[in-house]
Amino acid sequence: MNDTPDAPAVEIEHLTKVFRVPSLRKQTVLAVNDLSLTVGRGEVYGLIGPNGSGKSTTMKVLLGLLHATTGKCSIFGRDSSQVDSRKDVGFLPENPYFYKHLTASETLDFYGRICGLTKAERRDQSARLLKLVDLEHATDRRLAGYSKGMLQRIGLAQALVQNPRLVVLDEPTAGVDPSGSRQIRDLILALKEQGISIILSSHLLEQVQEVCDRVGIIYKGDLVREGKLEDLISIEDQTEIILKNASPALLEKVRALAAGDSTEVISIGRPRTTLERLFLEETQ
Amino acid sequence: MNDDQETQAAAPAENRTGYSGPALATESKAHSMFSPSRIWALTMHTFTQMVRMRVFYFLLFFSAAIILVAFMFLRFTPEQELKLLKDVSLGAMSLFAGIFAIAGTALLIPKDLEDRTLYTILCKPVPRFEYLLGKLLGMLVLIFVSMLFMDALFCTVVGVREKILVKETADAYDQELAKFPERGQNESWKEQREEALAAITNYGLRWDLQAAVWAIFLKASVMTAVTLLVSTFATTTLFTIISSIAVFIIGHGQHLGRSYFLSGAPEGGFERPLAGVIAIIFPDFHLYDIVDAVVSGEAVATTLLLQMSGMTCLYLLIYTAAASFVFSNKEL
Repeated sequence: MNDTPDAPAVEIEHLTKVFRVPSLRKQTVLAVNDLSLTVGRGEVYGLIGPNGSGKSTTMKVLLGLLHATTGKCSIFGRDSSQVDSRKDVGFLPENPYFYKHLTASETLDFYGRICGLTKAERRDQSARLLKLVDLEHATDRRLAGYSKGMLQRIGLAQALVQNPRLVVLDEPTAGVDPSGSRQIRDLILALKEQGISIILSSHLLEQVQEVCDRVGIIYKGDLVREGKLEDLISIEDQTEIILKNASPALLEKVRALAAGDSTEVISIGRPRTTLERLFLEETQ
Repeated sequence: MNDDQETQAAAPAENRTGYSGPALATESKAHSMFSPSRIWALTMHTFTQMVRMRVFYFLLFFSAAIILVAFMFLRFTPEQELKLLKDVSLGAMSLFAGIFAIAGTALLIPKDLEDRTLYTILCKPVPRFEYLLGKLLGMLVLIFVSMLFMDALFCTVVGVREKILVKETADAYDQELAKFPERGQNESWKEQREEALAAITNYGLRWDLQAAVWAIFLKASVMTAVTLLVSTFATTTLFTIISSIAVFIIGHGQHLGRSYFLSGAPEGGFERPLAGVIAIIFPDFHLYDIVDAVVSGEAVATTLLLQMSGMTCLYLLIYTAAASFVFSNKEL
């Protein structure tokens, strides 16, 4: 299937994944149940859920690492089970180790080669990406000596080596210190500015809230909530009024009348919960 | 996606973190389902991985072993000495090639899976069969390079030892001649001298030794393909190693099973079907057993070498195709 210009970055339709448990009783585990979602071009989509909820399984099916039991996935209009769909995809798995015997530049050169980059392109990309992830000082050091944060950063660099249009990040900040985590967040925002589509799975809900346009919450294989972040975290049956220079007396009146005459109304809307609170409500 | 985002996506520019996405040639290239350059990248990567695991340290042991055998045990006749040297050297080559083929290959896929490096490779536009082919060829290059080094050292030691033994033997005859000059007129003594020197040469450095080394390499290549196949469905590295060793052992008796199956033995019972299964599934390692003959100074027919090479290609094709089939359906 060819890339269609109007196709979304990712389209998952009625995806179900059942694992067979190796046992005599032919037991099965339903990992993902009839999941459908769409990620638009240039959109940052946050996939959140407790451990074992089906996030990684969904990502693996999307990346062709697992076969869907039913349903289908496409990337920029191409069937994601086909190898050519991965030309435009970069993936950072959770807790990647990479090849410890390679240096950072060798790592990027290797991934560049398997993506079909020319020698000059690999050299340029390597220099650019190592600068981007702030690993220029450790270019010729083997990854065996890298810290967790450095490994995550080189992982992000390898995901970007062929300038993909879709980047899938599975817990990109797991085990990274706050400074490293912030650095990765800035990189995600930079990718977003470039119009790169991103699927982000993370337990750091504050970070998801900061960078994602839309969020899906998976629980026990079901997509229980999905939508724009501002819609999800707004409390629909309440209204928030923000007043400036309001006197205590006026506040009393406001409380009584829910309106003011000489008081400037800055905004009227719905107060927001946090993504964390919503997450806990949906998954408990 | 709004218009602004479309514009950003279409014309990437440097932003505050320095990320920009210049158009790469790959964006306009059609994806090729078979790429020799990708396979070569995976091959060289596997080779580098094994080299940096310091597997070549074994070559020091090999060097020490054959030098020890060549120059320390001098109580034998020259022929026995050369035979022992070739026996030990070819045996060591066979052992190291087998260890590489089984233990090295058994580690590859489980390690990539455990370290999740497999995900990062297969999430790029790399077909699974190319990944397997890269791993297989990487191991074959590794075994080939190791054997090249061992062969060069082996030939040097055998050649040097042969020259020393020829010279010592010739000197002994010359000394005898100096003591008993009348023996120079004795034709049978002269023949004896020539025969003694010819015997040493016959047990010395001959092209047939290369045939034996080639047979060891081919056998190790088949074992590599078998191990790779087992590792595509095995759940542990230990299982892969044990199963591959079992195949190695059974492979040496495959010709017996085949003979039994083809001999028209009576139907009934499980023996004949079992022999048939063994003959079909397992490789015939008996085909490669030319080392003993070569060590004894026997010549190797070119047709046998061609047969071995052809059968090896066939085995590699069959086992790699089977591995590719299993691996392409594997849930990672």
